Amino acid sequence: MKQHRPRLRSEKLANATAFSIAATVMLVPANLLPVLTTQTSGVSRTDTIFSGIVELWRRGLEAIAAIVFIASIVIPILKLVGLGWLIFQAHRGPIRGARELTRLYAALDFIGRWSMLDVFLVAFLSGVVRFGAFSTVEPRSGIVAFAMAVVLTVLATHAFDPRILWRKQSKPAFLDHE
Amino acid sequence: MSSSPARLICPLCGQGHQLVPLAPGERALCLRCDTILAQGPRFGRDTTLVCTLTGLILAIPALFLPFITAGKFGQERGGLLFSGVEGLWDHGMRLLAVWVLLCGAVAPIALLGILAALLLPARRRFMEKSSQFLMRAAHAVAYWAIPEVQVLAVLVALMKLGSVVNVTIGPGFWFYSGMSISLILAWRSFTLSPPESPSDNNLTAEPRANA
Repeated sequence: MKQHRPRLRSEKLANATAFSIAATVMLVPANLLPVLTTQTSGVSRTDTIFSGIVELWRRGLEAIAAIVFIASIVIPILKLVGLGWLIFQAHRGPIRGARELTRLYAALDFIGRWSMLDVFLVAFLSGVVRFGAFSTVEPRSGIVAFAMAVVLTVLATHAFDPRILWRKQSKPAFLDHE
Repeated sequence: MSSSPARLICPLCGQGHQLVPLAPGERALCLRCDTILAQGPRFGRDTTLVCTLTGLILAIPALFLPFITAGKFGQERGGLLFSGVEGLWDHGMRLLAVWVLLCGAVAPIALLGILAALLLPARRRFMEKSSQFLMRAAHAVAYWAIPEVQVLAVLVALMKLGSVVNVTIGPGFWFYSGMSISLILAWRSFTLSPPESPSDNNLTAEPRANA
């Protein structure tokens, strides 16, 4: 008969920490490598996430630039900083302000998905803008790194168990069978 | 005096709660962390099923009708839901293409399908054993079903393309947006008013005294 091994909270915390570190590492190539190359009437232009946002702003599309900036830069950083804070607090032992930290966790869980905006955007543009020599959009390797970073942050949030914020003792305790 | 066992556990803090009936629109919050645990359905108990079936119906034209039409120098090109997947696939990013397909199309439609299987009254009678599996599958799939992000991405793409090529929004985009809204409403209604209510009244947790 199959027996379920109770999972230690510290084990889950370790998973969340590992995913967060991996996501932080992956954000470096995601922001340094180009995410797309645009060719319009013979003029070619290669952009990273940030230079693409600056270009949108220069062309007068400030609202769109702000949306992409929030989704692609602010949210991933906010999420990793927030998760880092939650993991740090969970390691410290008995926690004050568990209610606020639980709300922070719920907020991070909600906003994480919006980072996929840039991946959908580059995918859609590369599929639609195909006008031969006149106008094309080609996805570049940076978008793969960015997608991996987003997936890792989502996995990190999923691995973190907010119930650890409500424990009464600092030493790791057993969770219920899952 | 013996206390009855807790039947609703807060997913965030683990606090147990007893179930009590809720009036339509009334919310029950977790006693400890204030998370919304349940809400009495405003429009009857079939709200989730209605939203689910609406989403499934809207998904069919959303899959096949153009999202946008882009034109330049006399050439015209229609962008479908699958155009993004096609674009990534053709440029050798096949894993990412599959991922975009999963998050934007497969997971949302699968979630609607699972909800329909759980909720359709005729099926529920025969699917008691598999309902636990379907419930777990629904929660797993829901994490990656993000059609609303795809809707925003297409809107951003429209604005971005507007200065380079001539673009018009196609009917597929509106059907897809409708499907996204239906899915969000169905999932919210499903999680806050789950179908396995123990009483005919709308179940849920003990509301906070000050809520």
